Amino acid sequence: MGRAAYAAAFMSMVALLAICGSATGQEKVRGVTDTEIVIGQWGPQTGPAALWGSVGRATGVYFELINSEGGIHGRKIKYYLRDDAYQPAKTKAIVKEFVENIGIFAVAGGVGTSTGMAVREYLTENKVPWISPATGSSHWTKPFNKYIFSTFPQYYQEAYVQTQYAVEKMGKKKIAFFYQNDDYGKEGLDGAKKYMEDKGLKLVAEVPVEVTDTDLKSHALKLKQSEAEVVIIWVLPKHGAMILGVCKAIGYSPQFMAASTLSDPDLMFTVTKGLWKGVMYGNFVNMESPLVKKYQDAQKKWAPDEKYTGLFYLAGFYFAEPLVKGLQLAGRDLTPDTFIKAMESIRNWSDWLGYDCTFTDKDHQGVKSVYLEKCGDNGQRIKVSDWLVYKPK
Amino acid sequence: MDMKRDYYEDIQLIRTKTVLVGTILLLGALVAVPFLVGGYTLYVISLIAIHAVVAIGLNILVGYTGQISLGHAGFFAIGAYTCVLLMVKAGVPFIVALPAAGFVSAGFGFLVGLPSLRLEGPYLAIATLGFGMAVTQIISHWDFSGGHMGLEAPKMTIGPFVADTGEERYAVIMAVTVVLTVAAVNLMKTRVGRAFVAIRDSEIAAAAMGISVSWFKTLSFAVSAFYTGIAGALMAFALEHISAGTFNLILSITFLAMVIVGGLGSIAGSILGAALLTYLQVKLGVIQEWPVLGPALVDVSKWFFSVEGLPNIQSIVFGAIMISIAIFEPLGMNGIYLRMKRYWKGWPF
Repeated sequence: MGRAAYAAAFMSMVALLAICGSATGQEKVRGVTDTEIVIGQWGPQTGPAALWGSVGRATGVYFELINSEGGIHGRKIKYYLRDDAYQPAKTKAIVKEFVENIGIFAVAGGVGTSTGMAVREYLTENKVPWISPATGSSHWTKPFNKYIFSTFPQYYQEAYVQTQYAVEKMGKKKIAFFYQNDDYGKEGLDGAKKYMEDKGLKLVAEVPVEVTDTDLKSHALKLKQSEAEVVIIWVLPKHGAMILGVCKAIGYSPQFMAASTLSDPDLMFTVTKGLWKGVMYGNFVNMESPLVKKYQDAQKKWAPDEKYTGLFYLAGFYFAEPLVKGLQLAGRDLTPDTFIKAMESIRNWSDWLGYDCTFTDKDHQGVKSVYLEKCGDNGQRIKVSDWLVYKPK
Repeated sequence: MDMKRDYYEDIQLIRTKTVLVGTILLLGALVAVPFLVGGYTLYVISLIAIHAVVAIGLNILVGYTGQISLGHAGFFAIGAYTCVLLMVKAGVPFIVALPAAGFVSAGFGFLVGLPSLRLEGPYLAIATLGFGMAVTQIISHWDFSGGHMGLEAPKMTIGPFVADTGEERYAVIMAVTVVLTVAAVNLMKTRVGRAFVAIRDSEIAAAAMGISVSWFKTLSFAVSAFYTGIAGALMAFALEHISAGTFNLILSITFLAMVIVGGLGSIAGSILGAALLTYLQVKLGVIQEWPVLGPALVDVSKWFFSVEGLPNIQSIVFGAIMISIAIFEPLGMNGIYLRMKRYWKGWPF
């Protein structure tokens, strides 16, 4: 009976797979019913970028919190989190499922630039509002896209205000830029150069590093020769740690300033064995907000087993807050159009983890400010500047 | 029952009336699909078709010729980028760019095939692995190919016809898939196909029979790369955006898994393997929402692993399938199909 068993097993497998197709809900407004608003997010839960997966899980906890407080205008948020393993092909499949099978109202967050780029056009074509793509790329708001609202300060803007701080507040003139040779690093470099040009100054050195470089001696020597007083670094955490070590070894110790992507002093202090002490870095999550405590309590209540509760986890709340704010402003009559109108009415909003968020019908880059922190003696955060707002001359 | 009296009967594409009826029904079903299912399902089917083309190409190399490649994501990337770059930068029409992508990829396949004359088994695996990784590194550092940010794919245009919707894209992808599948079946019935199989079975015996081992080995690489390049080009249009990160090592290994699960040395097996693994990839990601089984697995995961553990079930399931295939059914899904066919042969008489 072996063969019959094979056939039976095969047939039951087919049947099982057929059951898994999910039901389709068709309403007037996709993703909105009398009692629910459906929100989706993709995020890498497996694969090379799995550490960033905590962003999507934190967003889920935030929606639990909102629902436990009574929801939004009588509706609860139903949240779907999907693993795309940082692969654009999967992200594409996920948003198709979101739009055509599940029927979502909006997307919140979404880690990854290339994954996001693979679905940007599709989401726009289907009129899906997308709040807070979780990277600092300028592609979300340039060219202007009616459906995308960005809350991640652009690398360009962040580098601009950091350079401005170094020149105007710290009184330094000799500034060097150490950057990763791709869009991430180059957008930062452009921001720093723009400020220096506006002031009639020049960077004393622009030193690129490839993602795959493992020996930074020549880079460090170039920085030393430039005699820069401040070195701004726009690189991966591993290169940030390495350049500090090599510079120390050749007896060169300028003031280092790092991008907000390196804003985990605890981690950096540990991996550099203390060298990170004194390094300044950008941050856009307001750690002094009373909401931090509230969100950490929510995590203990709804996700007690969560292992990664650092800055990325808080960012999961940060990225979803503007969405909820927009839903509250839009009122009971919720459609993509009323929602976008409500989002565009947000002005100078600081009552959340971010600072001074403004959306208009011409500019969807809501947050343009970071503040600077300094790494303390034991890797703790010390706030050194107030919010630095991007205001080009 | 399955007796052949001359050579031409052996190379016939459609041997019996049953096969003819089956083929017509299958083609009819493929045409009917867009009218029956939604856009999401159609996208998944398109992905399956693209992966099937890769699996057929890889099977020609691995299953029929007995070589190995862990670098097919590289050919996939070359195909995708060649097609998109030709269309965007040089204004070449899609109908020319698509085969061009295949031929450029085949050229690289020929080059990679050269070391295969001296390398075998694990050494060849490492060489091709290096090739695949080098391709993505070069693409991601090259401004011309859009660097890390990748490229936006243009619209597929054939004369006045613009494939703009999911249905139209499906039509183009499926048509190419069918043509390439038939071509592969035919190729395996020719002198070339028999030479591949002879090399796989015994290089020395093949050489003794007058087969140029070096020529056919590199040719096998080129044909395999051609298929993968065409599939890569189709992938660019299915995704509408390509970037280097899409074509990673995991993808190469998944392709190989499709071939092994489907059945080495079988075109039908390649398609079955591609369909099963692509479907599982999509469905296992949402396993927590399956009725009954989902919540149970979430609980198991919480007890034994961590909250984050469940998405990794895909690796566990893929691994389990591979191991059971290797132990119970070395011929893969095609082997299961053959056994079922034999079992039902006499039924009901």
